Amino acid sequence: MSGIEETIISFLKLTMLSMVPFVLASLGTMLGGRTGVYNVAQEGMMLVGASVGFLVGYLTENLFLGMLFAMLTGALFGLLLAYFTTTLKMDQFVVGLALFFAGIGISTLLPKKVIGITLTPPMIPTLQDIPVPLLSKIPFIGEIFFNQNALVYTSILVSIALWYFLFKTNLGLQLRSVGENPKAADSLGVNVVRMRYITTILGGVLIGLAGAYLPMVYTGTFTDGMVKGRGWLAIALTFFGGFSPLPILFGSMFFAGIEVLAYKVQIGGTGIPYQFLLMLPYVMTLIIMIFTYSRARVPAFLGQNYDREKRTL
Amino acid sequence: MGNQHVIEMKGINKQFGSITALKNVDFFLPTGEICGLLGGNGAGKTTLMNILYGLYRQDAGQVYMDGKLINIQSPKDSLAHGIGMVHQHFLQIVNYSVIENIVLGADVKHPFTSNLAPEKQKINELCTRFGLELDPEATIGSLPVGTRQKVEILKALFRGIKVLILDEPTTSLTPQEVDSLFQSLKVMVKEGLSIVFITHKLREVLSVCNSISVLREGRNVISLDRKSAAEEELVKAMVGEKLDVKKSIIFSKGKYQTVNPKYRDAPIFNTSNLSYINSDKVKVLKDISIDLYMNEVLGIAGVAGNGQHELVEVIMNIQQPTSGHIRFSGEEFTGKPTRLIWENGLVYIPEDRLDDGFLPKASVAHNLILGFHNTSAYSRKGFLNWKSVFSKSRQMIEEYNIKTAGPDEMGSNLSGGNIQRVMIARVFSQNSRMLVAHNPTRGLDIPSTDFVYQKILEKKKEGMSTLLITEDLDELMLICDRIAILYKGEIVGVLAKKEFEKYRIGRLMSGFRDVDSKTKREG
Amino acid sequence: MNILKRALPYLGAAVVAFLVAGIFIALMGYDPIKAYATIFGTSFKTPYGFIQTILKWIPLTLQALAFTIPFATGKYNIGGEGQMIAGAIGATAAGILLADLPIYFLLPLEILAGIIAGALWGLVPAYLLFQFKINEILTTVLFNFIAFNLIDYVATGPWSDPTAGHPTTIAVGEGGFLPNILTSQPLNAGVLIALAVAVGVYIYTNRTVSGYELVATGANPKASRAHGINTRVQFLLALVLGAAVAGLSGAIEVAGTHHRLIEGLQSNFLLLGLIIGLIAAGNNMAVPFVAFFIAILEVGARAMQRTMQIPVEMVFIVEALLLIFILLSNVVRRRKA
Repeated sequence: MSGIEETIISFLKLTMLSMVPFVLASLGTMLGGRTGVYNVAQEGMMLVGASVGFLVGYLTENLFLGMLFAMLTGALFGLLLAYFTTTLKMDQFVVGLALFFAGIGISTLLPKKVIGITLTPPMIPTLQDIPVPLLSKIPFIGEIFFNQNALVYTSILVSIALWYFLFKTNLGLQLRSVGENPKAADSLGVNVVRMRYITTILGGVLIGLAGAYLPMVYTGTFTDGMVKGRGWLAIALTFFGGFSPLPILFGSMFFAGIEVLAYKVQIGGTGIPYQFLLMLPYVMTLIIMIFTYSRARVPAFLGQNYDREKRTL
Repeated sequence: MGNQHVIEMKGINKQFGSITALKNVDFFLPTGEICGLLGGNGAGKTTLMNILYGLYRQDAGQVYMDGKLINIQSPKDSLAHGIGMVHQHFLQIVNYSVIENIVLGADVKHPFTSNLAPEKQKINELCTRFGLELDPEATIGSLPVGTRQKVEILKALFRGIKVLILDEPTTSLTPQEVDSLFQSLKVMVKEGLSIVFITHKLREVLSVCNSISVLREGRNVISLDRKSAAEEELVKAMVGEKLDVKKSIIFSKGKYQTVNPKYRDAPIFNTSNLSYINSDKVKVLKDISIDLYMNEVLGIAGVAGNGQHELVEVIMNIQQPTSGHIRFSGEEFTGKPTRLIWENGLVYIPEDRLDDGFLPKASVAHNLILGFHNTSAYSRKGFLNWKSVFSKSRQMIEEYNIKTAGPDEMGSNLSGGNIQRVMIARVFSQNSRMLVAHNPTRGLDIPSTDFVYQKILEKKKEGMSTLLITEDLDELMLICDRIAILYKGEIVGVLAKKEFEKYRIGRLMSGFRDVDSKTKREG
Repeated sequence: MNILKRALPYLGAAVVAFLVAGIFIALMGYDPIKAYATIFGTSFKTPYGFIQTILKWIPLTLQALAFTIPFATGKYNIGGEGQMIAGAIGATAAGILLADLPIYFLLPLEILAGIIAGALWGLVPAYLLFQFKINEILTTVLFNFIAFNLIDYVATGPWSDPTAGHPTTIAVGEGGFLPNILTSQPLNAGVLIALAVAVGVYIYTNRTVSGYELVATGANPKASRAHGINTRVQFLLALVLGAAVAGLSGAIEVAGTHHRLIEGLQSNFLLLGLIIGLIAAGNNMAVPFVAFFIAILEVGARAMQRTMQIPVEMVFIVEALLLIFILLSNVVRRRKA
């Protein structure tokens, strides 16, 4: 295999690896968004997911337990978001920000309290690649798509499952209607409140898992602020993907590709100061938003709370 | 022989915060009849039926169906009992299809695929049985209002309801469509349904209902058979002491004092070939040319969605016209900034009072000066003169009878009727020369509606002309000097007062042009 | 008396927040009474503590205003720290490039450069909102991350101070130092600037026509537009103004506190500024007071970490709880109405 081929394979394989937090966090945002809940707490939720996932993985020496607890924590945050917005009818952005703060605080406090300050950072083993029998032997594609860790496969499968459910089933149509016109859905007996709770909690599960991925695959440990804005980028991605799972999946690959590109160029060494390369993912996101934002198909009642007894004039 | 009353509601009480919406209300729906629930806006009719349908919960009182006590917590329960409701504002998802809207929330045969064939068959059968014509695959957005209402009715019929509630169903219908609806209702009753018909229009109730129940200010007034109902008695029941019927405009049958428009002078306002293409590249206004004269009230009739909203926004320059001209008071006004339009005396009452006309999170004073905040009456060199704002606000509060603690009360504390009074005070207290009013009396109770008519006619005498855009044909024929009819963005006819005739206007509203349209003005 | 009655639910929420936090502290094995005594007491135990509190108050107030000004129109400026960094970079650039100018020129130029740099940093997200309707929460946050990389470059680049152990630039010219207003304590004139800004913002929103339009836009953009207010311009103006104030906070940190550009100078001011802004519920008059309260907590937090080894994050949790309970008290108040 030539050097160029190797570089491309390595680049694409790394991209697939890096897309996971984006896919999971965006799908989580999309789920709640489809019923009208506009989550802006992802950054904090991912931090908590990373923190909890790492700690549990470290203490129990079991990565899957770590993931489980990260998902439970995400579910808890989702539950709080649903409760404050759907039941207490507080402003969705303000609640999201408050949960974002809570996430930052808890994620930094927990490791300090549980492990304390140590000389060398505590480490956990990272997720291993699981080659798919037969398929991973296919030249070129096999290495990129079929020799990845469990969560890469999971992300792809979840995307496809959600796409099918939302757009190819009547139940999915019902769910989407809640975000398009909650009053219409409510007047026909659809339980708007229950739908919002379910999607927000499940969304939280995905976002928590996205956070846990970072220590378990990238660094093997937890550092403050390690999410580095991916939670916010996930929101942009969700809009970019028009709140649909498959465009979100492909959009995540694209975002991840840019992230990997910046990293590779930095390693490779050019005249450009590395800080400007690190800015690339954010700048690209801005540019992409310019082209896609106004055309994005967004659930009509996104960000609005629904009050059945609200009196209009 | 079934029960005499299919629905009985006894002792219903409902509070919204400190407002009593319903006090000890009883309601009985005779089986197999069309019962009219009559009253002005705000009387509590919709609230009562929302309780029956499960959208609201009553604070006290019981509901019985066929003699058995039933407990309704949500629309799911009411639908399970066979009670359906067609709401005043259609609850439809515009970019979904007819069938997708109808089956929403119902148990479909194939929840985990998108197969709707069994449901489609059922809908087609219902259409035949009840004489409604629909294409289940059509997208809601492509349908006219009359057809969209049929979708709402089908939503209920699809679920096998026995009792159907219709809330102000004729608001957006032409007179011909109203007749057709009444026919459908009679068919439904023959098929075994019982119907509640909510309306504030006396004539409708007298023409289609078997029995009538009147509510006023959240309380029962009278209930009687159609046979024993007299118009005068019903009017008195609807308005009570709040309105002197003899001095009112609403019940004047057109006999009131007014001035004649100055048709011989140049119009105070006119548009020529005004067109507007919206962001979806649809031409919603096509070459609109209308003249408004001094001391005139010109009505624009039409079913909602034929360009009224866009016309108003283009006149106020909230949207820029694509082509054409607007002239006001002899000046070219096309594309003039909205701020200057207001400050030059062209004022506006928007259709969506709360959305487009009110600042709930600001004070009453803030609301009263909106649009005029930059004029010399209230400000100097960029700084607000709060002293004059407050004193003028107190004046307006008194003159227009706005129930509020004071100019600095938070806007959101005001009731709906008082919010409308704020907006009326706002436009009528400056020396405006022209008013654009879009559905100004929608949702208002009878005394307030009459107050608006009185004010428009009073200001008409003082030199303020009005462009009245409304769906309410009765209103148009009552206070307008001429009526122009808007259909699919075009003016398809202009009628003088002596040509006002319900069905003729109705034909124009449906797009059938007049064969012999008379000249545009009197004399 | 009326003010006291209105403040009561807030005070109630605060008490509950402190109680809950106190339980947390106890559960973690520390003495809550001693912890609170340190948190609240440190600011008032020594003159030095008090001055430190005021020095913290400056960026907190400005960051809070940077949030509340756009918030009045219903827009969320989460970019305060990026705008602060931009302002700091701008001020540093002026201070180093024009280092030889006397104070009468250099200092105003430095501050002005900071304000303009901050405003420009907010202008791009504001314009993206204006022209393309792109949500400002996303864009302002993205610009924060861009700023983090930018300050790293500046602090380790050509102006870097090789003797410092942490990415820092060389000092700005002496003419660029904000003078102290007290001889005995290091209280720089930035506090006067911040006070003037707070008062100015209040006058703007409450007494000018332009401020009226800002308030109306936030209260109901659709209605405002129907009555002649150019709401799109209002959104842009408010965001740029907020960003300018944030830029000012960065300039003051450079000119008054550090006299150079230090990586990390943005500290946690944005988060605290957001919390202050949300607690004050956008009321510009309340902001300086809430900011002072939070400043007391922050100064106390550092002391608490030093003397009791309780991590500073604990105070952040207290502040977050404070916000949550105050928001909940709003819900309760709404229910009662």
